[in-house]
Amino acid sequence: MPPAITAEQLSKTFRVKVRDPGLRGALEALLRPRYRDVHAVREVTFRIDPGEIVAFLGPNGAGKTTTLKMLAGLLYPTSGRVEVAGFVPWGGGPEFKRRIALVLGNRQQLVWDLPPEETFLLNRAIYEIAPAAYRERLAELVTLLELGDVLDKPVRQLSLGERMKCELAAALLHHPPILFLDEPTLGLDVTAQEAIRRFLTEYRDRHGATVLLTSHYMQDVTALARRVLIINRGRLLYDGALDALVARIARTKRLELVLGGDDGVTAEALAAFGEVKSFRFPNAVLEVPREEAAATSARLLAALPVADLSIEDPPIEDVIRQAFTRGVQEDDS
Amino acid sequence: MMFRVPRSAFRVLAALWRLNLAEELQYRANFVASVLGTVFWIGTALLTLALFFRHTTRLGGWDYWEVVVLLGVFNALTGVIEAVLRPGIGRLASEVRNGGLDLVLAKPVDAQGFVSFRRLDVWHLTDVVLGLGLAGYALSRLGRVPGVLQLAAFVVALAAAGIVVYAIWVALMSLAFWFVSVENLSVLFDAVYEGARYPVTAYPGALRFVFVYLLPIAWTTTIPTSALTGRLGPEIAVAAAAVAALAFVLARLLWRAALRRYTGASG
Amino acid sequence: MNRVADWARRYGALIRNAWLVDLQYRASIVLWIIWGVTEPTIALGIWWSIAGDGQVGGYARADFARYFFALMLVNQLTIAWDSWYLDRWIREGDLNYRLARPLHPAHEAVAENIAYKARSGGMILVVWLVAALVWPAVRLPLAPGRWTLTALAVLLAAAMRFFISFATGLLAFWTTRATAIMGLHGGVALFLSGRIAPLTLLPPAVAGVAALLWFPYMLAFPVNLLTGAVHGTAAVLHGFAGQLVWLGLWVGAYQLAWTRGLRRYGAVGG
Repeated sequence: MPPAITAEQLSKTFRVKVRDPGLRGALEALLRPRYRDVHAVREVTFRIDPGEIVAFLGPNGAGKTTTLKMLAGLLYPTSGRVEVAGFVPWGGGPEFKRRIALVLGNRQQLVWDLPPEETFLLNRAIYEIAPAAYRERLAELVTLLELGDVLDKPVRQLSLGERMKCELAAALLHHPPILFLDEPTLGLDVTAQEAIRRFLTEYRDRHGATVLLTSHYMQDVTALARRVLIINRGRLLYDGALDALVARIARTKRLELVLGGDDGVTAEALAAFGEVKSFRFPNAVLEVPREEAAATSARLLAALPVADLSIEDPPIEDVIRQAFTRGVQEDDS
Repeated sequence: MMFRVPRSAFRVLAALWRLNLAEELQYRANFVASVLGTVFWIGTALLTLALFFRHTTRLGGWDYWEVVVLLGVFNALTGVIEAVLRPGIGRLASEVRNGGLDLVLAKPVDAQGFVSFRRLDVWHLTDVVLGLGLAGYALSRLGRVPGVLQLAAFVVALAAAGIVVYAIWVALMSLAFWFVSVENLSVLFDAVYEGARYPVTAYPGALRFVFVYLLPIAWTTTIPTSALTGRLGPEIAVAAAAVAALAFVLARLLWRAALRRYTGASG
Repeated sequence: MNRVADWARRYGALIRNAWLVDLQYRASIVLWIIWGVTEPTIALGIWWSIAGDGQVGGYARADFARYFFALMLVNQLTIAWDSWYLDRWIREGDLNYRLARPLHPAHEAVAENIAYKARSGGMILVVWLVAALVWPAVRLPLAPGRWTLTALAVLLAAAMRFFISFATGLLAFWTTRATAIMGLHGGVALFLSGRIAPLTLLPPAVAGVAALLWFPYMLAFPVNLLTGAVHGTAAVLHGFAGQLVWLGLWVGAYQLAWTRGLRRYGAVGG
């Protein structure tokens, strides 16, 4: 099967005006504008197979949205090659656009004063969906997203979570095989985030859609994507499985202890085994070098009254942060 | 290629306007406000004319009721602008700034057509009705009944006027892609269109030249009115259609260049 | 003395800030000024054609030219956009954080007005100077007394238009159509303040009504001071007295709208 998305040596450079702060800077910019090249995306290469859900990670301004826009055909690459669903996105025209969906968490296409169904009907016309197919797909989306009682309420009366669900429904009525989702859970509460994640997995399983999403919420990433692309300052730092990333970057493991007996154990006693991340009798968390985790566990069990012990990876947020600051090298661990 | 209008475009348009109508019906008070506003502004325009004609019997060679016919045409075009262009393409500048345009570009539709005709604020169509009514009344006061040929020339010239106005909006709004910080490009239109309130013959020569050849304001009100009152022969309709076609093509080219810049295709 | 220094510092910061914001939007401001130039230019074009080689109500072509150039300048120096800002602040809740600061929101508005007027007035002056170089009709004598009096009248007119705009904008506490009301006021002012024609060209009955209202003091009086159409101690004093009376009344209207409006805002909420 050919890949759903291919990017080869993809780069995008913007030319921006430089301006110093203050009145002087403003005047200077007015009289003698200076420009600087910003390399938003540099030689990024990856392939995504049909049916994959891939998360795109990176700090703000890393180049995620620029890449997404090039994949969706909104931006023309400075150099490199892109192919999405068999099309070159730029110049793919309506045929290409009917095969993708673009959802931006901070922009809405729903008409504010009307019930969401009105926007759906508009998209039916825009995407030329046959009436029977429209009814069938709407029914499916309504069930999957649990939209039954919000379809006839004006959008302005909906909660943020309900609104995003309707945005998704509006974007998926034409059954695009490729989904680009930029921060789809932005600002949502935990339950709404979970509902959206459940839906995306279910939708992928049913229709084999390929999903590329960006998100600031690690739960989105861990729950949805087995594969992540990490980008920083325009460069692709890592492309692969999430677990492998953790194994590669995290130099430490966490030992989570539940101590037994009475509170005879002190923080000092624990500190002899590793770095104490938190201690509140009877719970304690120690961080130890990765390769010593097993040995330290054995010593702990022998020396202290331990009721329960588990060895965990550090929180994924910490791992990602390390990836941004230190990079992702093949290291000795 | 450039002028291909797929049949689905009309379905999209129907869906858009249906949506818009549903939205507007929620605010029926807007209807009353819109009609009152139109009556007020037609009133001030008539008073302005009355003031001018206190001191003269002819304005650029036109007598009072001829200028009132022109005022009616002006108002009808204003109605189209307020109903379709300002709420549609007029929002482009802010959408370029806040990224809302990306959602439009991701859709399988012609972006210019979608952005231009996505809104139809029906209440403002009362301006069209009132304007044409005023023109008809003034025409009867002139005691001139236009013949079929004259009427046909007027219809063509008025349609051409609509296209010229549209082309000016497209051209102006395309500038938003270059001057991203400019929020109020429509002000430039308002400033220029102000000149269409009076027959171009009323202006000094230099200004008249500008309005006929550079900023084609003359073709929006003076020419259709002249076709209706018989001041110009019906053959002017051909010239009007040619000007409209030229304006449309130039605006379309500018729009395409602007879009290429937005997407970074022009390097 | 300390308090004066405090206020000077505050205003310095506010005006600097307004300038910086404006510089970001300099192209927008150029557009507003173009708009401010076209309206009088078109009115001048029409009167120019009506006057021909003769006179209309005592105005020959050159008199119209001087009148409308003076109008252009005075209008930019006195115009106030505050009702639009207030309407937005009130509707979108931006007023809340402004109320939370230990500084009356009107000061920010005044500072913005100063920044805007300094720049746009300056630009119009340049336009005028360039025009005067090539076109003797629009030259005005450099009479220091006349320019000083005009400056004073412009200051009073600007203050009055500021309070009219601010008070009308405050109507947004009660209605969603505050800016429409300001628009209607602008429509009436078109005639009664002299924007479309010198007041002496209006029908006497209309001019008589105008004289009983605040409109002539917004524009026509300072414009006529500058062109020399108003002269003689009695006429000048009469004009300034009118400006002061109407300024006082509009300050009162503003205060009423502000206190009542805030009480309502507090009760109903944003």
